[in-house]
Amino acid sequence: MDNEVGAEGYGSWLEQRLRQQGISTAELAKRLDVTPAAVSAWIGGRSEPRDAMKRAVANLLGGEPTPLASPVSWYHRPAHADGGREFGNAAAFAFDADVSVLAREATQNSLDERLDSARPVRVRYTLHELTGDHLNFFLRDLGWDDLEPHYRVAAEQKQKVGRVLAEALRELREIGSLLLLRVDDFNATGLIGGDYGDSKFAAVVRDQLNSNKSSNQAGGSYGLGKATLWATSRFGLVLINSTLSEPHEGRTERRLVGRLELPWHVLAEDEFAGPAWLGTGDPEREGIARSWWADEATAEALHLERDTSEPGTSFLIVGAHDAAGDTGNLQDMHRKLVSTLGQNFWAAMTSGRDRTPLLEASVVTMRNGIFVTDEERVDPHVEQPACARALRAYLDGDTVDQLTAAHQVALAHVTLRVPRLGTEPRTEGGAEHEAVLLVTPADDKDESSNRLVCMRGNRMTVMERAVRDLPLGTDPFQAVLLAGRATGRETRATGLAEAFLRAAEPPEHNDWNKTEELAATYARGALSRITEFRRDMDAAVRGIIGRRKAKRDGGPDVLRDLLRLDVANTSRRVNAHPSIRHVSASVDDSGAWQVQAEVKLPAREDAWTLEAVAKFDVRSGGRPRVPWARLAAGENCRVENGLLMFSPGARSASFTGVTDVTAHPVNAAMASLVVDLQKARESA
Amino acid sequence: MTTSVRPYPTLAGSVELEVVGAALDGRPQLLDMISRQERVVALHLNERSDWREARLELRARLPQRELSTGPWQKVECVAVLTEGVTNSRTLRPLRRASDGSWAGSITVERDLHRVRADLDLFVTATIGDVPGRIVGTDENPWIVDLTARTPLRQRTLEINEVDFGDADVPWLSRFKELPWLVETSGGDVPTVHLNLGFEGLKELLGSGGSVSEKALRGSIAAQIAAEAWTAMFHSAISELELDDDGTPQWPGGWRESVLRIMLPDVHPELPPADALFEAHSSRANGGGWHELQSRIQYAASRRAKVSRSLSTAIRSLDRSKEARA
Repeated sequence: MDNEVGAEGYGSWLEQRLRQQGISTAELAKRLDVTPAAVSAWIGGRSEPRDAMKRAVANLLGGEPTPLASPVSWYHRPAHADGGREFGNAAAFAFDADVSVLAREATQNSLDERLDSARPVRVRYTLHELTGDHLNFFLRDLGWDDLEPHYRVAAEQKQKVGRVLAEALRELREIGSLLLLRVDDFNATGLIGGDYGDSKFAAVVRDQLNSNKSSNQAGGSYGLGKATLWATSRFGLVLINSTLSEPHEGRTERRLVGRLELPWHVLAEDEFAGPAWLGTGDPEREGIARSWWADEATAEALHLERDTSEPGTSFLIVGAHDAAGDTGNLQDMHRKLVSTLGQNFWAAMTSGRDRTPLLEASVVTMRNGIFVTDEERVDPHVEQPACARALRAYLDGDTVDQLTAAHQVALAHVTLRVPRLGTEPRTEGGAEHEAVLLVTPADDKDESSNRLVCMRGNRMTVMERAVRDLPLGTDPFQAVLLAGRATGRETRATGLAEAFLRAAEPPEHNDWNKTEELAATYARGALSRITEFRRDMDAAVRGIIGRRKAKRDGGPDVLRDLLRLDVANTSRRVNAHPSIRHVSASVDDSGAWQVQAEVKLPAREDAWTLEAVAKFDVRSGGRPRVPWARLAAGENCRVENGLLMFSPGARSASFTGVTDVTAHPVNAAMASLVVDLQKARESA
Repeated sequence: MTTSVRPYPTLAGSVELEVVGAALDGRPQLLDMISRQERVVALHLNERSDWREARLELRARLPQRELSTGPWQKVECVAVLTEGVTNSRTLRPLRRASDGSWAGSITVERDLHRVRADLDLFVTATIGDVPGRIVGTDENPWIVDLTARTPLRQRTLEINEVDFGDADVPWLSRFKELPWLVETSGGDVPTVHLNLGFEGLKELLGSGGSVSEKALRGSIAAQIAAEAWTAMFHSAISELELDDDGTPQWPGGWRESVLRIMLPDVHPELPPADALFEAHSSRANGGGWHELQSRIQYAASRRAKVSRSLSTAIRSLDRSKEARA
């Protein structure tokens, strides 16, 4: 994976670069704070700068920097000097390792990092199962030989992480398969900036609980989201390949790094803190690895090669698992990813007639490099038909004031009175924001209905709630509330509303309610504004769907209650009598009905004696009865004098019969047949 | 329950009809006149009675895959609007839409209907050489209610509060000394007429009042209800259609509801169909007719909660006596 160029090659590259940019040797020396003689020595190929200096040169001159000469390997962080031990990443354990949580967090991150706002950010989830040689080659290139001893000792520990690791190692050994889950985004910022300090790269790869997001409308401002990546890996192992939107060290493509989360462990008398990085050694920081610029072959070998040079990041979760446990196989996990993406991001994926969506998402499943399923694009109109229809109608301006057809979408405004900040003078600040409420009849395919989905920002769902005080018998509907920037407007009030609602969200971003932040930041009365807002959105929904109060047909309540005609809540003794459970019948060559019937019998000690009756079914008028030419007992019964005697205590029985074709009033093929059981009648 | 089988293959998948929009004389109406839960369209929601025709937009879902792989040729899908009282029947074919569902519309002519029409959906196909056989149907027909303001299935009787002496209801004047009258003939559902001309009746049956007023109210209501149930049972049992072997058929509508509610109390030992046969034959043949009267009275009193309200009344009288003592 190393790419030796040599001192000579570097010198000529540097000379060419200086000439192209019209920078003198002395000028470069001054900017780098080295002697001009040193620069001359580099150009002449007599010496080569250290890696750090090469990066400094590349930062100044841009273009192709020197390929890194240091070998790439795993660097394990030594134990804390104070002897403190950590048995697992706290942030990773804040989440259940559930692929739907991962899909939600990772996709939200991608949305927040969208680069070109004229185009959607594209997200793809790839499930890839490796076995046999495919697995062996991957493990070799990953440096498994180095990692395995660490895993082994870490797995011996009694803590939760140890048990999870032991199980993962056992399965890898015994079943010999490994599931990779790769999360790609395109048209996103990428992990830009330096390896350390205040950069996006460092925020994801180095730090914990640090958010360094591009936009202030981002959702996960608590920085917990990325921990789900590591939580989803049974090995606590994630490899990263990022294509940067802004060059770093003169490069943009194939910035690779790997990070491993292990608990504290001892290997061969050395104590390790737990975390480890796959990268190249940093000469300035001993025992620490930094990202490296890889070649195509390396990226390919590590299953990290990206199909385009479009900026964005690929995360490879090694040993992905779904601890929620409701996904038995690859197909289940595939389906779960599709439905999670549909459920959480249908709004971002919905496009208007001439508006692109914010997000495109797809899921693909592979086994040993071969596609098991085609790439499945998540379609909001399939996953959330009514909600997606509502949003599209809004984007296209196709909404109505009142619903007159089932496919229509009604629009109403809900006013949010944003209070002034606590620091603002009484006469300034605050604004009135018109949130948009969309209501449409639910689709048959919708799993749940009569809910109100509230969103803000880049159309992220903050909460889904039931609408209160709906009149009984309301037809199923879906409602969507767009607040703040989710309305698509860019005004001062929109911005204020966005900030206000964000302050009203708890860390989970799943509610708009009274929070301490709200009370601390805004002027008095802020709390009741949020309550009013919630109340008004309910009222607006009711205003659209609420049926007018049923005007009763009169009469005193006391009497009406005694005259109800509903059968459902008055019938008693269900199934207390024998009944026909199932009949199958066909017309034979002679034109007679051949009938097989199954009978359900209620529990009773005594035997039942009943008469089986066959009649031709007619649309109106009396139904002609046809006699049996033959009636034969099946299970649990016998035939006596043309009656069925069911065995005492039996719960089911069967019989067969053939109708008497000579008594048919019409051709059997032109009629329907009814088979019934009834009490034997004396006259029958 | 009765199970009907056909001599040819029918659809196993479900067939579903939906009313997705309605217009009165070309004017689109608000969706709240249609209830998908109740499967009712209330055409009188806007209380306009001068409309001439209503057009309902329909959409049907058929088990498309089953249809395309099965033995059915020339599949058609028709909506049928019927009303028994006027014996009207309107039939409209639906057309296959691009998304696989079937769509179309049906017109409700005001002149052809009186109160309430059933809207059914049938799927027909050619099987063998026989065209137009029914291979599937939506088992829950829609109800198109021409007089209702809210799309609800009828669940109680009509209670008509009117002064029997009023000139608008001359046919009630001969009953004007009665406090109430139960009418099961004519109308689509039975009606209890309460005589507003009977002084104090309305106030008594209204809300509020003292403990003993409440007790009396419950007891009077129970008495009216018991009479209503008895009248309804007699009306329902007297208009049955018979099969060739003398088995009565369930009459449908409110009559069937009344019978199904009351027969388990009339003949608790029999399954509903046999109970219907027994009740009918004792009425038709005279045998056991008198015994049946007591059974009907029992069932009606149970419905009307006669015993409970009388006990309540007696207890409250006792208490007021103790209070005075």
